[in-house]
Formats: sequence, C-alpha cells, structure tokens
Amino acid sequence: MRRLIAALLCWLALGVHAQAQDPALLQHILDELGSHASVRAAFTQSRENPALTQPQVSRGQLLFVVGHGMLWQVTEPYRESLALTGVRTARIDEHGQLQTVRGSDRGVAQVSQMLQSMLSGNPEDALRQFEVEAHGTATRWTLRFTPRQERMARVLRRIELDGDRYLQGIQVELANGESTHISFADTRDAGPLSALEQRALGIAP
Amino acid sequence: MNRCAPPLRAVLFSAFALIVTGLGAWLLLGRGGSPIQTDLLAMLPATERHPLAEAAVERLAHANGDRMVLLVEHADDATAKDAARELGKRLAADPAFASVTAELPPFDLDALFAPYLAHRFHLLTDADREALLHPDYDPTQALARRLNQPFLAGVGIALQDDPFGWLQHWMEQQPWSRSPLTPEDNLLTAHRDDHSYVMVLAALRGSSYDDSVQRAALAALARAEQAVIVQHPGVRLLRAGAVFHAAEARAGAERDVHVVGLASSLGIAVLLLWTYRSPRPLLLAFLSTAIGVACAVTVTLLIFGQLYLLTLVFGAALLGEAVDYSIQYLCARANAGPAWQAERGVRQVRPALLLALATSLLGYALLGLMPFPALRQMACFAMVGMLAACLSVFCLLPALLAKPASKPLAPSLVRFALALQRRAGRLGRGRSGMLAALLLLLVALPGWLRLGHDDDIHLLITSPAELAQQEARIRDVTGIGNSSQFYLVHGDSAEQVLQREEALEVRLQTLVQQGQLEGWTGVAGMLPSMQRQQANQAALAPLFANRANIEALLLRAGLRTDVASAYLDAWRGQPLGLSEWLAMPVSTPFRYLWMDQGKAGIGSIVLPQGQDDAGILRAAAAGLPGVALVDKPASISALFGRYREYASVWLLAALALVSAVFGWRYRHAAPRVIAAPLLGIGLTLAVLGYLGQPLTLFHWMALMLVLGVGANYAVFLHEGEPHAAHLPGATYAGVLLSAVTALLSFGLLALSSMPALQHFGITLLLGIGFTALLVPVASPVREYVAV
Repeated sequence: MRRLIAALLCWLALGVHAQAQDPALLQHILDELGSHASVRAAFTQSRENPALTQPQVSRGQLLFVVGHGMLWQVTEPYRESLALTGVRTARIDEHGQLQTVRGSDRGVAQVSQMLQSMLSGNPEDALRQFEVEAHGTATRWTLRFTPRQERMARVLRRIELDGDRYLQGIQVELANGESTHISFADTRDAGPLSALEQRALGIAP
Repeated sequence: MNRCAPPLRAVLFSAFALIVTGLGAWLLLGRGGSPIQTDLLAMLPATERHPLAEAAVERLAHANGDRMVLLVEHADDATAKDAARELGKRLAADPAFASVTAELPPFDLDALFAPYLAHRFHLLTDADREALLHPDYDPTQALARRLNQPFLAGVGIALQDDPFGWLQHWMEQQPWSRSPLTPEDNLLTAHRDDHSYVMVLAALRGSSYDDSVQRAALAALARAEQAVIVQHPGVRLLRAGAVFHAAEARAGAERDVHVVGLASSLGIAVLLLWTYRSPRPLLLAFLSTAIGVACAVTVTLLIFGQLYLLTLVFGAALLGEAVDYSIQYLCARANAGPAWQAERGVRQVRPALLLALATSLLGYALLGLMPFPALRQMACFAMVGMLAACLSVFCLLPALLAKPASKPLAPSLVRFALALQRRAGRLGRGRSGMLAALLLLLVALPGWLRLGHDDDIHLLITSPAELAQQEARIRDVTGIGNSSQFYLVHGDSAEQVLQREEALEVRLQTLVQQGQLEGWTGVAGMLPSMQRQQANQAALAPLFANRANIEALLLRAGLRTDVASAYLDAWRGQPLGLSEWLAMPVSTPFRYLWMDQGKAGIGSIVLPQGQDDAGILRAAAAGLPGVALVDKPASISALFGRYREYASVWLLAALALVSAVFGWRYRHAAPRVIAAPLLGIGLTLAVLGYLGQPLTLFHWMALMLVLGVGANYAVFLHEGEPHAAHLPGATYAGVLLSAVTALLSFGLLALSSMPALQHFGITLLLGIGFTALLVPVASPVREYVAV
C-alpha cells in the first residue's frame, strides 16, 4: 500500500502546463532545476506522525544526478547510505558494497523517481495525478501538488516543493496526519563524483 | 455380396449411405454447438506422468483461457485512459461478455490488508529474519531507520501497527505489490517508453473454443475497437487470450479446407472430364468419394464425439485417395468398350481393389496405433472413408454403370502413358536397369546423408507472428501471460507442499541473484509454511521476551505510550492458515496456484518469470523432493521425437508386411512390384535431404501413405495390365490418373498454413510423384503385351 501511494506520487506529470496558475513561472522553475546535472546538498528531515510524541529528525547528505538517481546518506541519528535508482533501492554497507534491498520501501524508490523527473526538468513522467500550482517569483517559488483523485487523496494530502535556483525544501503531508519536511542547505553543483558514488548510481566511470 | 441381385444391392447400399449421411449431418449440425474442436492443445496426448501435472497444465490454460486481456496503448496518457474507459463501456454493454473490468470498483485497501495484522508476528521477509537472527542486531537502529526513512513512513501498514516495518516489508514482497500495473485514475495502468498502457479484462460468456462464444466475442471486440479508434485516433489495441489463437486456428483450417478441398475437387473434376469425356463418370466418382467422406465423418463423430481441425483438413485431402477405386472401375469400363458388363467389371477389378484396400487399411491401422488422439482420429477417418468408398464401387457403381462407355479413355492420355511406360520399361530391364538403379542410389546418397530431424511443437501449433508479438508485449508491460513452463510442487499435506516450495524458493533466489531469473510467483511467498511461520516467530521472540525492555525501546524512539502498549498487547498473534488465506479477497487472483486434488495429492504451481531456458529452470529444481519442472512444449517435442523414431521402424514393418503380401500373390515378380514404392520412398527422402527439410513425425506419416498409395499403383498396374492387353498404355493411364488426383489433393496440403500439414503434403507430392513414374520400370509393358 505504501507502494500504492508512492506509485501515485510517481505518476505526477501531465497537466503541468494546463493547471499551473502561472505557466511561465512553472516553465522557468523546471528549466532552472533541469540546468543542474548533478547537485549536492545537506538535508535535514523532520517527521511528525500521530503515533509519535516528538518529531523524528535525521540529517545527512544528498547527491542527486539527473538520469541516474540519488544517494541518500544519513549521518544522524544513525549512519546509512541508500542508493535510490529507478525503482531499485540499494543499501551501501560499511565496506562500500551495494546490497539490493528486497521487499523494502519500493515506495521510497518511487518517490525518489518522481523527484528525479521533476528535478531534471522533465515533468512528463511525473505529476500525472496532481493539480499543480506555482506560486511566488522566479527567485522564491513554491510548487504545490494536490491529488486529483479521491483514491489517492485518501492517503496523500499534498506535496509542496519550494526553492530558488535550487530546490530548498520538500513537504509531504499524508491524510493520516503524518507530515515530513525536508530542508536543504548548502546546495551546490556536485563536481566530480567519487568512485563509490559512481558505482552506487550505476554510472560508468 | 454375390447372393443378391445388383439392383437390390445398390438400393440397400443407397439406403445405408443415406441413413449414415443423415446421422452424420445430425451429429455435425443438429445438436447445437459445433463438434469441431479448435483447441489445438486438445489434440495433444497426455505427456505428464504425474496426474497433478496434467491437471495443472489444464488449470493454467483455463486460468488465462476464457478471457481477453486487452491493453490500450497511446502516447498521450489521457487519450489512452479515455479510450480504455470507452472500450470497457462498449464491451460491457455487449452480451458476448460475462464481465468486463476496465474501471476498478471502489475498494478499501485498509479493509483488504486488515486481516494480516493478526498474523504480523508470523510473517517476515527472509532479509528481516536473517537480520533478526544476526548477533549484532540492533532493534533501536532498525526502529530509527523505519521512522526516519526518506520522504514518507506512514503509508501502507500504519506506523502504530508496524513500527519496525516488518509487515510492511513482507507486504512489499507480495505479488500484487510487484505488478507493474498500478491503479491510476481508477484504471490499471503501466507506463513504458513514453507510452501509456491501460488494461481492460473481458471475461467470455463461455469457453474460448466454443464457436458461438468465439464469434460473438470477436465481433463485439471488432465493433468496439472500430468505434474507439474513430473517437481516439492513434490508439492501439494489444490483445492476448486463447480465444484469439482459437479463432486464428479455425480461420487457418477453414482456409486450408477451402483451398485444398475446393482446388482438389475442381482439379479432379477437370481431369476426369477430360479423360472420360463424359460427365457421368465424373459424377459417379464424386458420389463414391462423398459416400466415403460422409461415412468417415459419421463414424468418427460417433467414436470420438468431436472432430479435430487436423482431421478435417486431412479429410479434405483424403478425397484424392478415395477416388482411386472408382477411377479403376471407370477405367475398366472405358477400356472394355462395347463388350462391357458391369458385374464382370466388378469381378475384374475386385482383386486389385481388395489388395489396394488391404494395404491402405494396413497403413492407416499402423497410424492408428500411435497413442496420439489426433493421429488416431485421422486413422479412423481414413479407414472408414476408404472402406466405404471401396464398398460403393462394388455395390453401387455397377447398378449405375450398366451401359458400356460411349467413348474410350482420352487417346492422348493413353498415348502419353504408353510412351512413358515404354521408355521407363526399357530403362528398367537388364543391365541398364541395374545401372540406372545404381545411379539413382549415388544421386540419392548425399541427400540421405543430409537428413536431420526436428520435433518442435510449433509444427503443430503456430501462432501468427503478430499475435505472438502482442502477447510478448503484454507480458512485458503487465507481467501477465500464459506460462507453459512451471514448477509443480506436490506432497502429502499442505504443510509438506509449502515446505518443499520454500526449498525451491531458495534455489530460485540464487538464480535471481545471478541475474538468470526475474522472479517467481508461488503460494509459499504469500502463505509461508507453519514451520517457516514458527521460525519467524522464534526470530522475534527474544526481542519480545522482556516486555519492559521493548516497551522502553519503543518509548525512547518517540512512540506514544498507548501506541506502544497496544502493539505489545498484540504480540504473538496467530499463524496464517491455509483456509484463512484462501478466504482473503487479496488471494483471489492466485488461488488457482493451489491444487487440492484429493487422492491425486496436494500440489502448488510456481510460475518462474524471465527465464525461458528450461535447462536452467530444470537444473534449479534438481534433487528437490516433490518438485518437478513441467514443460508442456518440451514434453510434446520429446513425444514427437519418440514417435518419429517409432514411425521409421513402423515404416520398415509395414514394408515387410506389404512385401509378404506381394510375395504370397506375385511370387517371383514380387521384388519388381515392391521396387517402385520402395524407390519412391528412398528418392523422396533424398530430395527432402537436398531441400534441407529436417524430418518430422509428419514426414514419416506421409511416407507411410506413400507406401500405401505406391503399393496400390503397383497392384493396379500389375493386376490391370492383363485385362487391357488390347489397349497398351490404358492401365498405366488409369494409374497416372489416380496419381494425379492424389497429387492434386495431398499435394495441395503443401499450401497449408500448418507446418505439420505442409510437411505432410510435400512428402506425399514427392513420394507419389516418384512412385507413379517408377511403377512401369518395375512392370514393363512388353511382358504383358507378350502374355
């Protein structure tokens, strides 16, 4: 069922041009996001859930490479590196070995796919199922995605992306009251990738 | 036969023929529903030793059989979906379909998955179980990972029900989670290469092989497709389902029957008209053949209850052999001139016809010995048909041909036959004959050496490339497809079966890791064995042993007190049982994988995906008790191979039998009489070798016919010659006539769309051609002219 919602997330796309309140702004945002082939950022993820008394906070580094996927490296409160490529999730162990995670969070992989398609300025594969509203200016914008369909809306309330030249924040709100906010800092073009990073994302050296 | 007068005999025989024809017509048309079997698989013999395996093959065929799987494809997502909705509406409105699924009915996922909560402490993925059993397992970190996973954590199984994510992981492995199809806009959709594919399922109102169901469904689909394409240009419809194959097979066979039946009838008509120069003999020849075919259809339907397509096509070709008997009688009449007496004519041709009939029946009886339903039916059809046609010559034709022929055989044909016979006869005598035989052997030898063989099932079952492509695409996009290769796991109890399946899973997992397999679908993945469920619980038990510890751990991680205690209160729970699993709505699409066949045992089907090489799949199951790879196409191919070998031995046996009969009747002349069919078979094999055609079972079957027909010609010539001594060449002209009619009917099978019949036709074309040309070599004209 996680997969369902996540699959729903990844269907984004279509309608971007039709639904945006400011088509020019949306196009500008997509062009800007797509102009960075690979990006690094530090992230802080904070999650609230009705089952939790306090927010869960994790921190780490994100590497995003257009067309290949992302590397989600948590450093706090535990250490873990996940390579999210396509629909595959792999864990990188302490020896630098990739281990495909079977039966775990395909949903996460699919959200990452959706984000990949958005961030590479290619919304056709994403955003099929959402009303998209673009607000703000070219230097300070927000994209709000609301499910068009009741089936999805029962699980997912909305996703918001905000940013300037880069993506600065992601907010995922679920119908059950869970709210996840990810904020990025120190976003920059990635520069050369390490051998491990290339291997993890399946990039030929 | 001799005791009653010819007219009475004719009347009795006519009455008999009418009754049989009437019965046949009623069997064929009068009972509602066509007795023509279009299911090509039904022709195949049972190949599996284990009764469960045959049941499994049938079950799989029908699980995918009586429905259409349609994929609506378009580059534009909205267009594809609108078209699919439209298609669904149109099909649903048509009475040809029992049910149509395009838009999904509303369903509550929480309600579907809620039954699993009671079993959550018994269901673990292999990875989680192994991790839990690892001495370094850190539950705090596992919990933190789950709570902090990127983007979202609280979808699927709710966080409070599954804080560690174990059940979530297990659910992710279930086959419904792995399907590439996902509900989107309430439609099952997949996206590939910038194209959207939307699935529409249509269940037929009956069997795919039922003629009326098939026609109604295909017509309805064609209408709906037409309308949808007009409204949504550019939409493409991909289709899969047994109904399309059945329809193609029927169309192909109907075309074959029309082409072969019509062309051979026309050809024979023109030929007979030209030879006898009068329409009466032509009509009588056809009457005799028609009686033969009518009797054959009736008796076959009485014995088998249904007619295979293959029999029907073969039956159309059989016309050419059945007509031989009347041709011989008509030739005798034409040759007798004004001195013709119908009864004396019968006595004159009777030995030849009886001998010919005996060799034919012998040949077909051998064919009928093969434990192959389709071949048995063809043999039965042929034997009855030949017998009836021959009887009609003895009983009916004399009464209708009392008057002498007005004209002798076409003189040009007789002259041509005589010239051919003389030339061949000269070649066949003395030293030049030996030389010619040696030369033929030398020419044939390289051909023989080049012979190979081929036993592929596709000889019998061919799907149009277009349909096969569409099905491959559908399998690729949706993961849904017919699988003819699967594992059958069987045992004495459900528990044993599930344990054996789990042992197989370990092997399959290794294949997946080696990149040799994409995955598999089996019951044990959805319903672990009790042993496995207990192991799962045992892996969790240390963690839950001290309630205070784990409660503190959950609270430290940030869970609310009431959530933590509710979770711990649920600890242990119940294992998931077979009956519970079968009762779950989510198991509906997979229930056919579980087989409880009472005494035959309990079994389950495991469908491998992404590996067609049976060798690799078979090796994976090697040494596992109760696990076997069932590979129906391979089993059939192996069977073809076995019978091809038997057939070659049978041909030798038949040759020996015919030689013995000839030896008894012709004494020292026997070697010469048998030489023509023997050489005909040898040369045919050589040409097939030169043509590069690998020998199949069907080539050998045709060679049996060549032997039968060739022996007929030798007999006709040998027996007939003394009676037509005053008309040199006339007897051979009759043989040539028979050969050409046979070539017209059997030879046209070479145009058939079915490779099996094609091979059959080519072999007969060559064999009968060679034999007809070689017959006078063995029975030179002058010997008899001198007698």
